[in-house]
Amino acid sequence: MKRAIVVLVVVLASTAHADRWRRAMDRWQGGAWLHYELTGMQRVGDAFDCDACAAEDLVLAGARLHGFLGANASIAYHLGVDIALGSTVRDAGFAYDLALFPVGILVRAGKTSIVGFGAGIGGMGGIGTIDDALTFPVEMTAEIGIGRRVRVLSRARVTSNALAPTRQSAASSIAFADELDAMLGLRIGRYYDDYGFPSGNGYFVGVSYRELAGGSMLGLTIGYSIDLAMPRRWVEERDAEYDDHGRRRRRVRMPSTQ
Amino acid sequence: MKRALLVLPFAGCVILPRSLEQPANDQTTVALLTGSLGAPLNDIARHPWFAVRRKGEIGWVVYEVGGGGATESDPFRKHYPYENPILHEVWRGDDAEKAADCLEREAPEWIAKLDYRFYPGPNSNTFGDAMLRTCDLRASLPSTSVGKDWRGLIGGGVTSEGTGLQLETPIVGFKIGLKEGVELHFLGLSIGVDLWPPAIILPLGPGRLGFADR
Repeated sequence: MKRAIVVLVVVLASTAHADRWRRAMDRWQGGAWLHYELTGMQRVGDAFDCDACAAEDLVLAGARLHGFLGANASIAYHLGVDIALGSTVRDAGFAYDLALFPVGILVRAGKTSIVGFGAGIGGMGGIGTIDDALTFPVEMTAEIGIGRRVRVLSRARVTSNALAPTRQSAASSIAFADELDAMLGLRIGRYYDDYGFPSGNGYFVGVSYRELAGGSMLGLTIGYSIDLAMPRRWVEERDAEYDDHGRRRRRVRMPSTQ
Repeated sequence: MKRALLVLPFAGCVILPRSLEQPANDQTTVALLTGSLGAPLNDIARHPWFAVRRKGEIGWVVYEVGGGGATESDPFRKHYPYENPILHEVWRGDDAEKAADCLEREAPEWIAKLDYRFYPGPNSNTFGDAMLRTCDLRASLPSTSVGKDWRGLIGGGVTSEGTGLQLETPIVGFKIGLKEGVELHFLGLSIGVDLWPPAIILPLGPGRLGFADR
């Protein structure tokens, strides 16, 4: 008898667990985007406090891989990793810019548009030209799909630095962080809706701006971008329903997909 | 035109690619090809297959993950559902006989043991690279064959081209060699410089900007 009760409890628990798991799977939805970027920047204007701005220019090539996952159609957890390597060209210093965003939040809109925020840790420097710094970036990313061919890509990042005294308070237009980095671009490509999954890819060109080590830099970014996601699904909770055999029907239904 | 100029550096422009004409069947032939996945991954991910035709035969036997085993008439130009095929290497004669025997023996066994994972691997590209090394076929897969460098949590050894070394983890890895040049891997994406034939290795399109790999 005792054994039968144990078996019954295990069966009921596993059924409930499976049901919960199925409901969770119905709710979870996510996506990702990947950018390959090549950015060339040139220092502009006079440096306002430029003991450290030996670099006249900066070229970086790299990738940004970000993803999101959420339990509803509009809000999701967001994380990402950015890696870029290059050079301060005329000064011939190897340069790098790395960032990991383990914490973030993202809002989805329309079929493919997103606005995301992320915070993390990274490193940035250029050998012999830009002091190496441990960075704590906070980034806002917005990607807006316009029609079936065009996507606006934008990104703004403020960074607090450590381990680089010459790069403290090194951005003229912001007081609350040490450096600033931004990009606004336009992607021309294709939108796909294969098997109901909204996605797209294409080449983009953008304007980049950076306040780094006391100087301002302006440049051009070209790249390739791809985005793909699960369709947004609005999930409604309803009261439990039972079939003719007394078995509980699934409570979750998806009335609409956009 | 403006757009074409803009995308050129990123399009992985390949000079002197191999012809997709089938060789004559007077000798056994083994060919390594890749094709792009469907949209939207078409520019960043490729899939490999080995096409084998014994001397005097008309059809090609294809070895790959997720298909293969069937006889095809022209896997050089059409291998559904993959698009934009690229021929990376062709072996003929005695070399091809040995390669055909090896693939026939090793490929089904390797695929049967495969615990497939689309990304970062092991996947169809891991199979392609493993067969190149197992069967001593000196060639390499393009950088857009994501998963080709999958070696588990940590692994390494001689490269598939046989003139270099590589060390890999799922996060980072590298390949360095006389023909291979220098290739850095990050999360399965590859970037570097191929020494012979010379090219910049990019994780986009055909995987290189420069001369075709041969």
